[in-house]
Amino acid sequence: MSEENQVEEQPKPLVLEKLEANHADALLAQDESRGTIVVVIHKEQAYAVLEYLKTDPELAYTFLVDVTAVDNSQMESELMQFDYARFMVVYQLYSYQGQCRLRVKVPVHENDLSVASVTELWQGANWLERETYDMFGINFEGHPDLRRILMPDDFEGYPLRKDYPLRGRGERESFNFDKQNV
Amino acid sequence: MGLDFVGQGAGQTDGNIITTTIDKVVNWGRKNSLWPMPFGTACCAIEMMATLASKFDLSRFGSEAIRFSPRQSDLLIVSGRISIKMMPVLKRIYDQMPDPKWVISMGACASCGGVFDTYTLIQGVDQFIPVDVYIPGCPPRPEDLIDAVLQVQQKITSGASPKGVEAVYE
Ligand code: SF4
Repeated sequence: MSEENQVEEQPKPLVLEKLEANHADALLAQDESRGTIVVVIHKEQAYAVLEYLKTDPELAYTFLVDVTAVDNSQMESELMQFDYARFMVVYQLYSYQGQCRLRVKVPVHENDLSVASVTELWQGANWLERETYDMFGINFEGHPDLRRILMPDDFEGYPLRKDYPLRGRGERESFNFDKQNV
Repeated sequence: MGLDFVGQGAGQTDGNIITTTIDKVVNWGRKNSLWPMPFGTACCAIEMMATLASKFDLSRFGSEAIRFSPRQSDLLIVSGRISIKMMPVLKRIYDQMPDPKWVISMGACASCGGVFDTYTLIQGVDQFIPVDVYIPGCPPRPEDLIDAVLQVQQKITSGASPKGVEAVYE
């Protein structure tokens, strides 16, 4: 039994080795979740690390699958982990070359909701960041066109935040239909 | 059909003359050539497409001329969820349709919001546009939609004015 339970020592993934060698100060934590490597990156260096992950010829995470965020305000354990950073901006990357995925998380404090935009690196980040802005109110600095994308332009509040009520704050009833630009 | 074939029994005209009223003839024509404007925004639209396709074949009831322009149609089929951002679009399409016009609210979502009791979803399109026939179900079967079209046809035959007209003249 004991032999079966013994976990085989895996070689350290290349991406973690390279990150530790080149961006050790930016790396806040590393983890693995269902076969995907997860790294938590300091906000100030997020752009540099993401650029490195994309352009390094050995890693080549050229495909940005998704950008989204998580509101941890009601999860005490998660909240305490990174110095009470309420939001976690999440980038999902894929490398065609290595055929592997990587999840990059960036903790964002409530009093400073700005993160560097990655539209320069991936054009596809444009709408993804707009959606994250729309739903969570994260400010992507350097984004060429940071407007709401799903909700109407004059909508107030950020609906995917945990303090936003499911049934809204009366927008369904008080929405101004005549003023909309259709 | 709502038409009176007179003279047949009397044998005077060999059944070649029909007397009726203008209203009845017009309504008879309207009823048998409803031109639907599909407003499919979610899963219900799939059932609507099935209704229009060969298996269920809505054209058997004279409604096969689907118009994707509201200006050419007289039956609006709202099938799917309508968000607060989509409602002005739906309202404008309804306004663009020429009178007389009828509206079918297909499925739980269009009729009352369905399971989506959330911040962005209209809880029933009848808050903003007049609805003539509601179809329950999630999604309703194609037979239900056919039944709704038949109910609209019945309304037309009976000479009742559409809900929209009532709303205007009330
Ligand atoms: S009623 Fe059901 S099938 Fe129809 S749009 Fe709503 S969820 Fe989809």
